[in-house]
Amino acid sequence: MAITLKNLTVDFDNRFQCKKINWTINAGEHWLITGSNGSGKSALAAILAGYGDIEAGVITNAPEKVGLVSFEAQAELIAAERRKDDADIMDVIAEGTPVHEIIDAVATDRHTADKLIEKLGLTPLLNRAFRKLSTGETRKVMLIRALSCNPGLLILDEPFEGLDVDSLSALQAHLTEVAGNTQVLMILNRLDQCPDYITHVAYMHNGELQQTVDRTDNDAYDALMQLLHLKTTELSIPPADPDFTLPPLNAEQPLVKLTNAAVRYDEAVIFENLNWTINAGNHWQLTGPNGSGKTALLSLITGDHPQCYVNDIDVFGFKRGSGESIWQIKQFIGYVSTALQWEYTVGTSLRNVIISGFYDSIGLYSKYTDNQRNIADQWLQVLGMADRSSDTFTSQSYGDQRLLLIARAMVKHPPLLILDEPCLGLDDMNRQRVLALIEIICARSTTTVLYVNHHAEDKIAGIDNYLAL
Amino acid sequence: MAENYFNSLSLREQLEQLGKCRFMHLNEFDDGVNALKGKKMVVIGCGAQGLNQGLNLRDSGLDVSYALRQAAIDEKRQSWKNASENGFTVGTYEDLIPTADVVLNLTPDKQHTAVVNAVMPLMKKGACLSYSHGFNIVEEGMKVRDDLTVIMVAPKCPGTEVRAEYVRGFGVPTLIAVHDDNDPNGEGLALAKAYAVGTGGHKAGVLMSSFIAEVKSDLMGEQTILCGMLQTGSLLCFDKMIEEGIDPGYASKLIQYGWETTTEALKYGGVTNMMDRLSNPAKIKAFELAEEMKDIMRPLYNKHQDDIMTGKFSQTMMADWANDDKELLGWRADTAETAFEKTPAGDVEISEQEYFDNGILMVAMVKAGVELAFETMTSAGIIADSAYYESLHETPLIANTIARKKLFEMNSTISDTAEYGCYLYNHACVPLLGDFMKGIKSDVIGAGLQLNDMTVDNARLIEVNEAIRNHPVEEIGGTLRGYMSDMKRIV
Ligand SMILES: NC(=O)c1ccc[n+]([C@@H]2O[C@H](COP(=O)([O-])OP(=O)(O)OC[C@H]3O[C@@H](n4cnc5c(N)ncnc54)[C@H](OP(=O)(O)O)[C@@H]3O)[C@@H](O)[C@H]2O)c1
Ligand SMILES: [Mg+2]
Repeated sequence: MAITLKNLTVDFDNRFQCKKINWTINAGEHWLITGSNGSGKSALAAILAGYGDIEAGVITNAPEKVGLVSFEAQAELIAAERRKDDADIMDVIAEGTPVHEIIDAVATDRHTADKLIEKLGLTPLLNRAFRKLSTGETRKVMLIRALSCNPGLLILDEPFEGLDVDSLSALQAHLTEVAGNTQVLMILNRLDQCPDYITHVAYMHNGELQQTVDRTDNDAYDALMQLLHLKTTELSIPPADPDFTLPPLNAEQPLVKLTNAAVRYDEAVIFENLNWTINAGNHWQLTGPNGSGKTALLSLITGDHPQCYVNDIDVFGFKRGSGESIWQIKQFIGYVSTALQWEYTVGTSLRNVIISGFYDSIGLYSKYTDNQRNIADQWLQVLGMADRSSDTFTSQSYGDQRLLLIARAMVKHPPLLILDEPCLGLDDMNRQRVLALIEIICARSTTTVLYVNHHAEDKIAGIDNYLAL
Repeated sequence: MAENYFNSLSLREQLEQLGKCRFMHLNEFDDGVNALKGKKMVVIGCGAQGLNQGLNLRDSGLDVSYALRQAAIDEKRQSWKNASENGFTVGTYEDLIPTADVVLNLTPDKQHTAVVNAVMPLMKKGACLSYSHGFNIVEEGMKVRDDLTVIMVAPKCPGTEVRAEYVRGFGVPTLIAVHDDNDPNGEGLALAKAYAVGTGGHKAGVLMSSFIAEVKSDLMGEQTILCGMLQTGSLLCFDKMIEEGIDPGYASKLIQYGWETTTEALKYGGVTNMMDRLSNPAKIKAFELAEEMKDIMRPLYNKHQDDIMTGKFSQTMMADWANDDKELLGWRADTAETAFEKTPAGDVEISEQEYFDNGILMVAMVKAGVELAFETMTSAGIIADSAYYESLHETPLIANTIARKKLFEMNSTISDTAEYGCYLYNHACVPLLGDFMKGIKSDVIGAGLQLNDMTVDNARLIEVNEAIRNHPVEEIGGTLRGYMSDMKRIV
């Protein structure tokens, strides 16, 4: 019978909430719950073990008996043991409950308990007081309790953490066996440890269950792995190429200054009398409904709009139409848009796509340096695509292409990065991935970001100037 | 009408001009657009080449404006819209030509005599007149004022590609030439080079050639393999598939997109790579079909080249110009009525490989056409580099246009000269291949070989592979694509 969580909101001591969870765990499925620290993955699992106060929604078919291993449960058991000691402090020296009693209190499956005691090397410790065990040893006790209580559902929150090599392999072997008849729900930080029997992956973010992925859906699974990579690894932006220096910009001058700008087609006026100054270091978000001219405005800045020649535009110290070439303008700009992705139909490698950012070209037509190649490889590392550097760009998923184009735009550390609806056309998972990458860029580089979006919910931390068209 | 310029030369001069062709090194363009910096470039005509070249030149920092004929301005024709919506200054000849340092004549070839006669008196002394095709100078024998410099910068691509490649940060292969009779200040080459840089052509490769070599090779390529062969092949293959009971929607799609898909392989690795996309038995089959067609079509290719060399082709076409394009318009209307044009592509999925597997005859036609055009051009004295660009190189670009909107799109994108030559070829080639087509079945067009046994004779396969690889178009193609990919490190 399927366990279902419907519109469930659960509060944990006013500290944390899991919000509006909709989730079905069918019989025979084994789930992995993922997410960054503080995303609520442990909380979600804890709900199924009966923790938290349900504020709204319902759980149906919650398992009768849950075998739970987690740091919280471990801490709780240790605390309970301490309280016992405190309670009979009197005059006897408290020995504390021996390990075998702690196990026997719950072990209904004697065979499993004995087997694991031996395999995990606990036999010599059975008579030792539980509270005297090391953290690793108490963890083993927790595992034995959970696995030998004939659970309907096993909830294992970071079960492999802190185990020695022999115990780890014994545990893994045992779990593989158990998964044949007991449902497993696991929480792991290191996804390379994800066992083969896991059939589904859930992704938590800000207390919400944002994604559930069937593991046989390879594309979705890979995308989720990369999102986790962006969210859970301490990433830094690869450096600029020291040999690739832009002409110096006058610090007194704004990056961009539009004076009474207008775009008109035939008789239709898209916008007019627009004045806008972008100073270095001020990130902007540009909003406006479809057709309000957001892209037209941006392309006046990038030089892709032919009417840039009939407007009063100063960019990076050039007055447009004074004999400068568009390549002199583009060298200062990193640019990403859906249109660019459509145009980027060149059958070149992922590495070359990133290197092409140094040359502002679609495809790579210049001899690049070893340094540039190294930097491109570092970017691929950040994106979690290092193993695919020679694959062709056009064979990548839509979301991966978008991430690559953002890296391409950033590779030269441009003074101005323009992101024109970077989440457009992306599903939820890929949106998360793109936003995660942009946040890293805003936080960890000196580039000024100009971000266009008509979705208010795709806000990016660090962008605080707004222009609405 | 003035005398045909080519025919006015001695044989020695003719051969010298035909043989002029050198692939220029990238570092010959180190001076960039400097020779044109601050000069006033005025484009006449704002069509396929005019608009797109102008956009590139302006984005390269040059001063570009458009002189249109009065009627185009008054009626706000497409050419006027093209120029003004893109923020260019537009004016009449009287307004702009007298201020021009360079006048870019990008009107249709058949208008050149009238246009040049109209603008020449307005041009300032010592200015430069440029073309993107040498027809007017070579075939019509246009005499340009002695003080004017006459150059040619001819992108070897449709106008839309000229722009699209520039925007990507690259360019299209371009042929440049200086008209020796009109280089009074010796600055023609510098101007042509700067112009080629302004359009981005230098990044993709520039051939330094002559007006004559450009015209005689350009006409030959477009009439035969590029447009003629694709038109003839489309019509014959479609009718054959219908006769063989293939679904019309499928047949239509296989052809419309098949040229593009199969010649894409040509672009990356020449005829060899295109043939390698076939299974071994299919490759041998395609090879044999191509050999047979080459024998049948050789006299036709020779006739086209001969008529181009003697000026007979241009005479015939100019007679049609004088007759209000009666033939051209009639043939255009006939094409629109063909079964292939009228059958929309079906809503069927055809995988990339299937275009090869079921389009063996189409692959054979491309191979036969490319090799024959190349062989004919080179034996007429045209240098291999130039013959390569005018045959193999341009084939995929023209095939793309068919994928967009069939023959209609191809014939509206190419110049009227190319279109006229294409129909001429088609009229001769369809009956010429009549008997050959009688022996064709759906195994080579439409349905695939469907063999259970893929065995081939080793000796035969080696023989076929060697014949394919050792064709001279493969040799020069390998070298030129090597130059390209040196700069264009993609694939
Ligand atoms: N298409 C190609 O693939 C290609 C490739 C390389 C070189 N070329 C060469 O480029 C040149 C231009 O060809 P195209 O294909 O760009 O031509 P196009 O698209 O037909 O454009 C011709 C332009 O000239 C104007 N025009 C027509 N007749 C005119 C006249 N009597 N006086 C003044 N303007 C006139 C037209 O505007 P209005 O009618 O509105 O005045 C139009 O804007 C030709 O020499 C051609 O051989 C073409
Ligand atoms: Mg041509």
